[in-house]
Amino acid sequence: MRGRGILHKIVNLVIFIILEIAMLHLVTNSADLQRIWVARGSHAFMGTVWGGTESVRNYFTLSAENKKLAKENDQLQQELALAKQRLRQARIDTTQTDRHPGYTLTPAEVVKISRNKQHNYLILNRGYEDGIQEKSGIVTSHGVVGIIDAVSEHHAFALSLQNHDISISARIGEEGGSGILVWDGIHSNGALLKEIPLQYHYQPGDTVYTSGHSLLFPPDIPLGVAGDSRVINGATNEITITLFQDFSSVRYVTVVHNDSFDEIEGFKE
Amino acid sequence: MKRGFWIAYILLLMAQLLLSNYFHVTPYIFLTILPVMVLCIPIRVGTVGAMFIACLSGLVIDFLSEGVIGLNALALIPVAYARNGIIGLIFGPELFARKEDFSIGRCGFGKVAVALFLSLLIFLVVYIWADGAGTRPLWFNGLRLAASLGASFVVSLLTLGVLAPDPRK
Repeated sequence: MRGRGILHKIVNLVIFIILEIAMLHLVTNSADLQRIWVARGSHAFMGTVWGGTESVRNYFTLSAENKKLAKENDQLQQELALAKQRLRQARIDTTQTDRHPGYTLTPAEVVKISRNKQHNYLILNRGYEDGIQEKSGIVTSHGVVGIIDAVSEHHAFALSLQNHDISISARIGEEGGSGILVWDGIHSNGALLKEIPLQYHYQPGDTVYTSGHSLLFPPDIPLGVAGDSRVINGATNEITITLFQDFSSVRYVTVVHNDSFDEIEGFKE
Repeated sequence: MKRGFWIAYILLLMAQLLLSNYFHVTPYIFLTILPVMVLCIPIRVGTVGAMFIACLSGLVIDFLSEGVIGLNALALIPVAYARNGIIGLIFGPELFARKEDFSIGRCGFGKVAVALFLSLLIFLVVYIWADGAGTRPLWFNGLRLAASLGASFVVSLLTLGVLAPDPRK
């Protein structure tokens, strides 16, 4: 009975709409003023509704757009690295005092990442087929993400910076002392910069960079900002660092490999 | 079924034709008795039937008077669509249960006046809005609505005696 009532109401509504549309059609065909009015209303509707759906469609194509931007970003980083290398070479040519190795940059996408453990890891969609090697660094425009630990044909397993097993060489300020940067084990963006000699002065808020001493990462990549510090055993400072890298949103990364890694490692043997 | 209702309806339709063709006193007043005619269509006709009758009535006026074809029908169909809702809201569901039509004598002047007012309001809002086609300022449309509502309400009350006579008389 109730279902019939609802059906009646629907039928009434449908007939009402049909009749109104028919009458509106008659009205617009009968007078120019009304025709322009309806056309204007129709255009306003189309602009609002279809313009809105276009925004929705754009939202769903963001993934492709992100990939395109990541690729473009990697290309620009390659060019930047090349330009830096040329600049260094030019300096070497004039001073003949130092020589820095170049780095190979490979864009990659994070296919899996763990964040809530004490030994976090990530897996990238690039393997040795793509030129990825073990002992390569992983960076983004916001800092260091991790270090490649194992490589298969098409994937690479890496230790995240949020892992107690990894530490990287970092420097505080442009000319400050270098120490070891490790995850603080508590915060997703928290780290500790250890073993900074007491003679090096710094201010809270100073930027922390990669030192370039580890062979894994190029120097001068901004990592985070310095916070409070404490003296350890009366010999060194331990500084709390707030990292720039947000591990909850990391997706597109760049794998950096020191071209002279094997050569330099060979000296150790 | 009210006796002689359809004859009265057709006669009032002709009266509306005369009003539409000859009553051009001021642009602020649009005189109409079409909403009251649709409101008084016997309940047993139903909403769909009332909508078709309203559509036909509006088209007759549109075709035979100097106006935009479809305009009266466009404004009158919503009255027919809302008719059962208005009657149920103001007079209660008993009328539908007994299949009885309303009248001033049975339902009281106040309730009938409110139903009439609502019907006229629906009709005139759509009519004035579509007739102006976005070219008239709001104050003009508002003034036209108020003046037309007042004038049409008085004329419609006069026709109620014909369309919804008191069955006790």
